[in-house]
Amino acid sequence: MSPTIGELMQALPDVDEQDGIGVALPAVLKEGTLRPVPIGRWRRLTLLGSLQAKIAAAYLFYWIRGWFKSADQNSRLLAETHWRTAARVLDSMGYLRGAVMKIGQTLANFPDIAPREFVETLEKLHFDAPAMHWSLLREMVFSELGDDPENLFAEFDKQAFAAASLGQVHRARLKTGEEVAVKIQYPGIARSIGEDFRNLMLFMLPNRLGHDWKNVQEQFEDLRIRLEQETDYCLEATYLQKARTLFREEDGIVVPRVYPQYSTARVLTMDLIRGVHMDPYLDRQPSQEERNEAGRKMVRAWYRLMYAGRMLYNDFHPGNFLFLEDGRLGLIDFGYIMDLDEELWQMFQMLDRPLTTGQRSDRIAAMKEWSGLTDDSSDQMRLYDEFAEWSWCSRDLEGPFDFGDEADFRRGVDLFTEMVRKRYSRGHRTTPTIARGTFGWRSLLYRLKANIEIRPLAESEIVATGWDRSEYTRPIAN
Amino acid sequence: MAVMRVTAETKESTRQTILEVAQELFRTTGFDATTTRDIARAAGIATGTLFNYFPTKEVIVTTLVVQALAQPVRRSYSELHGSLEEALFAHVAGDLRRLKLHRTYLAPVLETALSPLAALQRDEMGQLLRTNHLEQAVALARHHRLDAALTPVALQMYWTLYLGVLAFWISDKSPRQEDTLALLDQSLEMFVGWLRGTDEKSNQPWQPAEKQG
Repeated sequence: MSPTIGELMQALPDVDEQDGIGVALPAVLKEGTLRPVPIGRWRRLTLLGSLQAKIAAAYLFYWIRGWFKSADQNSRLLAETHWRTAARVLDSMGYLRGAVMKIGQTLANFPDIAPREFVETLEKLHFDAPAMHWSLLREMVFSELGDDPENLFAEFDKQAFAAASLGQVHRARLKTGEEVAVKIQYPGIARSIGEDFRNLMLFMLPNRLGHDWKNVQEQFEDLRIRLEQETDYCLEATYLQKARTLFREEDGIVVPRVYPQYSTARVLTMDLIRGVHMDPYLDRQPSQEERNEAGRKMVRAWYRLMYAGRMLYNDFHPGNFLFLEDGRLGLIDFGYIMDLDEELWQMFQMLDRPLTTGQRSDRIAAMKEWSGLTDDSSDQMRLYDEFAEWSWCSRDLEGPFDFGDEADFRRGVDLFTEMVRKRYSRGHRTTPTIARGTFGWRSLLYRLKANIEIRPLAESEIVATGWDRSEYTRPIAN
Repeated sequence: MAVMRVTAETKESTRQTILEVAQELFRTTGFDATTTRDIARAAGIATGTLFNYFPTKEVIVTTLVVQALAQPVRRSYSELHGSLEEALFAHVAGDLRRLKLHRTYLAPVLETALSPLAALQRDEMGQLLRTNHLEQAVALARHHRLDAALTPVALQMYWTLYLGVLAFWISDKSPRQEDTLALLDQSLEMFVGWLRGTDEKSNQPWQPAEKQG
């Protein structure tokens, strides 16, 4: 079900009156036009698009606002002007404002502006993206694949069964008999993301926001590139094909096969995997061991992709995982993969030592490298270290870690909140994406209430790659 | 010297030859770069003879369009089972498919036969194209019980959108002209939404269910 307008409005974060920045969000939101009650698909879309955009804008607003805590009055006024212009730009983006929602989803990693209800609302929106009608879909298939779906496929379900990244998914059957899922993107929307992002940044961000500004720009640019990649189904097909070769039957992890002859940048045809998403899975009240096993598979898949495939899986959206009847886990969305090129791989190798030893001195050394900070004793370094300790402590622990511990999960959120509030954003350009991934897998394990030991999983995956880390590893007791 | 009688059959055959060679020349060298002399030469006739068949290049290209649109198109599922938006989308998309071969040199047709001023010029082929397209649109609206709302003004509005989409399409640089599909989709959503609004006359302004704090 789509969220109601009331739910959407409530999901917007409250303005924190105490920070004294003097840029009131509700006034900005009121500038947007409230439209008539949505009747047709188009109007519903416009309204949702508008609210999604505002939610995304609210994220950005809160994040940017943090930069002005210590700024003088002039800078604040300038920020407000930029913000209002940005809000108007957003409001003029028409249909394609929906694309801005993707930015909002990404920025869900800034938890001081992302209460849980807020993130859940965005997830609902993701699942219930408005549908393309059959005529449009048929034309998309015709122009992408060169023939009508009724000629190309033995069967093609006219109703979508899921929403996808800026498109929708249909069940179909190939003439050779395979049941497939065909993902189709709304025409033109992929190209609009880059433009939306550029417009938004152009109007919203004055270019002198302190000494870390250049670093922030790099991070935004990295986000933009990754969002653009997410809409390129050719790239996703490449990752799917690569990932599929990494898993064996005994892993119990399934990655769908891609059918390249029925796939383009806008259409992706892959095996249909039958399973349920996390909510219905949990509704069946699986036992602790079943949930642990699901959690282990999730973690194993993540490590396998990372170490054997050199692909970082960052999109831990619950809709991207399927729980199969026979206990296997399906990974179905490879749109948000970070390819670990040589530079990133070196970073990951560098991070492996503190991950493995759990030593504070190793963490500090790695954090320095990651952020370019030099002062060991600064508050910023203290906070970075605490956050890294929270992120990584489960990895070197001997014995199970209770991922369902709410207080521990909250601690991570609070630490990240503190970093954002203090404007400690300095880091490698990939930080926002990696932060998304970190919170992503932790929150899925949290929802599974998994209580598992992940060190042996990580070690076995690394050992399988032949990487020699004998300098700092310790044996695992059987 | 015996005067050769030009039979109706020969005439039609020459006419078809002219259309075929013209289509090829427009496609390969472009509409502007192709002269009537080029067409006549390729068809193996004198330039003067060409004018007995087609007074201008624009008439040739319009005839190609009329012929293309006269080809049968398989009615899609949507035209019968979907909403009016879907049905109209399929209707226009059917035109685009049939005109695809001619896309790059459609501009002169839009400037002449399909120009908004064509009605004043009493361009017969333009009238034919317009009537044929609109008659089918009205039939679809009737099928969806919305034909009463299709007043002459509404039809003119629809026609304007249609021409706008065509004009956009011929210069659409996006991959596989995907932007045209988006434009068509949104144009029709807008149009049919408006049509329903005028039909129902019960479009209440939105009231929030509860006040937001």
